Amino acid sequence: MPPSLAVDLAPGHKTGLALRNPVMTASGTFSWGFEFAKQFDINALGAVVSKGVTIAPRAGNQQPRVAETPAGMLNSIGLQNVGLDEVITELAPKWAKWDVPVIVNVAGDTIDEFGEMAAALDGLPGIAALELNISCPNVDIGGIEIGQDPEASARATRAAVRNTDLPVIVKLTPNVTDPVKLALAVEAEGAAAICAINTVLGLAIDTKRRRPVLPRARGGLSGPAIKPVALRIVYDVAKAVRVPVIGCGGIRTGEDAIEFLMAGASAVQVGTATFADPRAPLDVLDGIEAWCAREGVEDLREIIGCALPAPV
Amino acid sequence: MNVSTATLLSTEPAWDGAFVSWFHAPELARGVEPGQFVMVHCSVEGLDPMFARAFSYYRVDGDRFAILYQVVGRGTRWLSEQPTGAVVRMYGPLGKGFRLPDDPGNLLLIGGGVGIAPLVDTAERAVAAGHHVVAMMGARSESHLLSAAAWPKEVEYVVVTEDGSAGAKGYVTQHLGKYQEWASKIYACGPNPMFQALADTLRFNGRRQRPEILMEENMPCGWGMCYGCAIFTKHGVRLCCKDGPRFNLFDVY
Repeated sequence: MPPSLAVDLAPGHKTGLALRNPVMTASGTFSWGFEFAKQFDINALGAVVSKGVTIAPRAGNQQPRVAETPAGMLNSIGLQNVGLDEVITELAPKWAKWDVPVIVNVAGDTIDEFGEMAAALDGLPGIAALELNISCPNVDIGGIEIGQDPEASARATRAAVRNTDLPVIVKLTPNVTDPVKLALAVEAEGAAAICAINTVLGLAIDTKRRRPVLPRARGGLSGPAIKPVALRIVYDVAKAVRVPVIGCGGIRTGEDAIEFLMAGASAVQVGTATFADPRAPLDVLDGIEAWCAREGVEDLREIIGCALPAPV
Repeated sequence: MNVSTATLLSTEPAWDGAFVSWFHAPELARGVEPGQFVMVHCSVEGLDPMFARAFSYYRVDGDRFAILYQVVGRGTRWLSEQPTGAVVRMYGPLGKGFRLPDDPGNLLLIGGGVGIAPLVDTAERAVAAGHHVVAMMGARSESHLLSAAAWPKEVEYVVVTEDGSAGAKGYVTQHLGKYQEWASKIYACGPNPMFQALADTLRFNGRRQRPEILMEENMPCGWGMCYGCAIFTKHGVRLCCKDGPRFNLFDVY
């Protein structure tokens, strides 16, 4: 018998967030899902997370937007997106035809905008949950400046939770001394689940031009290079909170995903790996299944958090 | 798009620092439009470099296809050093290619440097469809030119070099001459300054052809997922990989 891979990412929440399997896509690495759906079976995935949406459409940052680094990349895309109205009128109706739950990543410039966007997306067919993007390092306002402050993170969470019946996931930045403080702050305000991590701030220099490669100098580092950082934060956060944790950062194989599950994640997001290999999310899923079969694991929940220290 | 592997059949020098590699991979060679590209992994383990590199299809022949590339970094160096029989991971075909006119006409193909790569396949198809083709290549010098033997015999091949070591001296866009008037349609691929010069020249001379160009931008993914390859056009931001790489010259320049 194949192992049971089902997980619920919002068990205490009125609608829940039931996933057939724990493999999700990471925001900003999967566009709106339609490219993948053209090529592969999108309903094989556990959940799809959209690109970050802002209230108004955005053109994003100037070139260069990316810098390849060993086992990863720095990005400074700048939240290029079609804007909230188009998500509501054009994209959500298409998502409603899929079986796979679609989670919309929302990026407010201000605390109030998180509430405004949550209200606008509430109750729309085709949207299963929201993920708050309080951790984007590539925009001037909003993003990481909210996400680095536990108090502001808590207020953004509260604003969203009060304005929607959808489960609210909060995606944390790793670019703080103690991500656990952020996790506890957003959990206290009703976050249904916590996703860790967004990109790690980094820099690359163009030695010919003697300047940073990216026009904004800093970019967000992603890919296998950040996996140990992500694992450490997932482990620390999972120890501290009661809500489900979603692991994200450098996952490209089933074995990577198993590590995150053992560190306490209930699900994983595959991101940068999809750029290098279009089949990456499906390969991660196959890898998890193969691992379970090999290790005699009948229900994935057996291993979630198994590497965490016993509670004292 | 197919995600697959290809077997390297041969790698031969095309000019100083550039190579033509032929691969066998039926699912990557089928249904290719001129100007489409393939993403080729240039490392065994896919970690450093992590991302595949985008290459235009240079020629397509049944189950085989070739790419023409200049060695510019670690990825292309690795590729150029692979032995015959090597199995290389890749995915494609991707992007929107050139659209050839339905009725036979006079097609002017302009390539700058390695931007000549997609124009040979384009020329082969154009000749087969009954078009008259002039191909112009701009290069640094005589030792950076694609051989005349690479073209179908029906193609008139005009070369321009920056140092004048072969053909006319200067940039290809300075020597469009009579061909501007002759051409019913123009196709171009090359560096961005070449596109700018082409737009300026055609505009100055009042030419009404609406050239199609193949653009290049850093493409980590090649299939519309990462948004790294943004091109800022007069009609808004587009992705080079998914909305292009074919653009109308005057939509961008």
